[in-house]
Amino acid sequence: MSIQEQYRKRAAELLASGEVKIIIGYGAGSTPDRRRALFIRSADDASLLHVDAACDANLSGYLVSEGLLSDRKKVGIFLRPEGIRSVNILAAESQLDPLQIVIIGFNVENGSLAALQGSGVNDFSSLISTLKESRSTPEEQALIEKIEGMTPEERFAFWQAEFSKCIKCYACRQVCPMCYCKRCIVDNNQPQWVHTSSHTLGNFEWNLVRAFHLSGRCVECGGCDRACPVNIPLRLINRRMAQEVLDAFDHFSGMSHTQEPVLASFKKDDPETFIL
Amino acid sequence: MTKILLRDRLDDCISRWHAAGLDVIGPVSKNNISQFDTIQKAGELDFGIILPDRTLKDLFFPQTEPMFRYRIGKQQIDTEEYLPPGRQRIVFGARPCDVSAMAIDDPLFGWDYKDTYWFKRRTETVIVTIACTSADEFCMCTSLKLAPDSPQGSDILLRPLEGNRGWLVEELTERGRDAFSLIEGLLENATGDPLPLAVVPVKFDLDACREWLQNPENFESHFWKEISMRCIGCGTCTFLCPTCHCFDFQDEGDTYTGIRRKNWDSCSFALFTMHTSGHNPRSTQSARWRQRIMHKFNYFPGKFSLNSCSGCGRCTRECPVDMGITETLQEITKLSK
Amino acid sequence: MSEPFEPKIVAFVCTYCTYAGADLAGTSRLKYPPNIRMVRLPCTGRISPMFILKALQKGADGVLVSGCHPGDCHFTHGNYHARRRWTVFRALLNFTGIPLERIRFSWISAAEGVKFAELISSLTEDIRKLGPFDQYKAMIHETETPVSL
Repeated sequence: MSIQEQYRKRAAELLASGEVKIIIGYGAGSTPDRRRALFIRSADDASLLHVDAACDANLSGYLVSEGLLSDRKKVGIFLRPEGIRSVNILAAESQLDPLQIVIIGFNVENGSLAALQGSGVNDFSSLISTLKESRSTPEEQALIEKIEGMTPEERFAFWQAEFSKCIKCYACRQVCPMCYCKRCIVDNNQPQWVHTSSHTLGNFEWNLVRAFHLSGRCVECGGCDRACPVNIPLRLINRRMAQEVLDAFDHFSGMSHTQEPVLASFKKDDPETFIL
Repeated sequence: MTKILLRDRLDDCISRWHAAGLDVIGPVSKNNISQFDTIQKAGELDFGIILPDRTLKDLFFPQTEPMFRYRIGKQQIDTEEYLPPGRQRIVFGARPCDVSAMAIDDPLFGWDYKDTYWFKRRTETVIVTIACTSADEFCMCTSLKLAPDSPQGSDILLRPLEGNRGWLVEELTERGRDAFSLIEGLLENATGDPLPLAVVPVKFDLDACREWLQNPENFESHFWKEISMRCIGCGTCTFLCPTCHCFDFQDEGDTYTGIRRKNWDSCSFALFTMHTSGHNPRSTQSARWRQRIMHKFNYFPGKFSLNSCSGCGRCTRECPVDMGITETLQEITKLSK
Repeated sequence: MSEPFEPKIVAFVCTYCTYAGADLAGTSRLKYPPNIRMVRLPCTGRISPMFILKALQKGADGVLVSGCHPGDCHFTHGNYHARRRWTVFRALLNFTGIPLERIRFSWISAAEGVKFAELISSLTEDIRKLGPFDQYKAMIHETETPVSL
């Protein structure tokens, strides 16, 4: 039986037995190579589920949809390892109870699909530890190093050119499981910290705020980067910030549902080489 | 005898237009995005793309623009108004869907208050449209009763010739004729076979959808919740829609001095309808998506006898969660049968 | 002839240590350049990175953030939290091309009036050498918004 068939069967069983009230998975998209989020409540619909290498969206953001978990019933969800880490962070930040989440895990390695064993967040802790130790070098590592090798003026010009494309559609924010604030800081106008207008300064400020708020929380699922309709390479900033918290504080986001958020905790001997 | 514009004459045409004081604008692919940009040479134009990532409305209704500067004094308030720079422009190589969208928005920007910004830019711009000979799976102009060679909004319509050597010229308006009289000697008096137009299948039944949307019973239909469950509430579909035209005002500065700007806004955002009291009449994403569809295919046609959609398909093409007008209207077509 | 460049520096300081240190510098009649605009806050833990962005938005050429030495925080650990935030925010500013010479962090206690005066002098000189933050100012200029600093 293919992984997809196994997973359809499992989803059907979870729904039929009443263990979960809904399954958040992937269905066919508008083109053969697209997959889209699919919400099913009946075992009969399990055949609509797809699991394959094209399932790249991190669905964990849907878990914090208003009212979904408030009845204390369980929800089944298809997640890649990054998605499982997102669930851990959401739990650590008191946004959900991990006991309500039944994970149907899968991974895509070198373009091929692999099943992941387990259903609760704790079942995947050794997998996540491995991910921390064997943090792969992304394709864009060369570009990150190139940017770091630039002078500040060149770096500024690079990002200015990228951010000038931004149209403030906030797709990066909306698609991100970590951006669950009821009211985002840019939507506040008393005080108005950053410009809401989509001129280059406003875009620059917005992108700094977004990156900062995700530092130490981002799991690098790539959702924002894929969502950006004007193709700003957000993955580069996210990658750089994830590296920073790993280097400075040995923090790999989403290790467990009890992990302390990196910017809401400290050690007395944290590095401080730059402070005069 | 028809006129032909040869592709290798385009540089000379651009020089003539420049000499006459026109800015030349066209689809340019740069920095990982395609959009309308000012060009100096024909080589900068990207004729390979079906449709630029960003729309033609950028040229008439920019994402942010200053309206006036204010200074609040002890006795009076001084203001200084900004108007769009008065540059004559020629847009070369827009697509019929994008250009039709401008014609769709004209009545909107002029029905009660005549929007100075929009119409100043509209009257300063000549649009040269190139009919489509290829389409992708998201194109849906025919579903909107438009076509790959719709003339609405265009001043000149060009039909690509065999072998990519140039275009058959159709002069549609006085403004178009004026702009092309500047390149009179560069056009060939000849005829040729235009390439066949792109084949764009009809994807939904527009009239059936309109009827379904007009039925008040369907306003509270469960359909809206189902179809929009995966909507994340970003502004991609609205900001990359050539006809979407909602805006917001924003004051930037401090208490006494600052600038008022006009910025794009989106009905997808929860903040769009948020009242000062905290009450939000469109409190769910399904209500917001319903509004978008209703506005485009029910309210707007009710007022202006035009659909507020020209079928460019960008909403589906760019949606981070693979939603879009096509899917929704296809589903409504099914429901109405 | 235009006036010589005088850097505009915004300092966000905690009231218990650095602000008191600045007070001491004043009462000790120590000299330091007048280029600093000081904003007093209860604790470095209250200094949001938003403040730094706001200072740049309003036309600052440099920003100083300063508070109690580790272990000295009036609220016991506000500055430890601040330190982590600065580490991360500083890396972000660096990656996006905001010169780190313009954004400085320091610990100055209530007893360190001399350190305060010296730091302000050296910071002002450093930023004077760097010149105005033209790249950022060009972005501000494009918005047409008046600059209040």
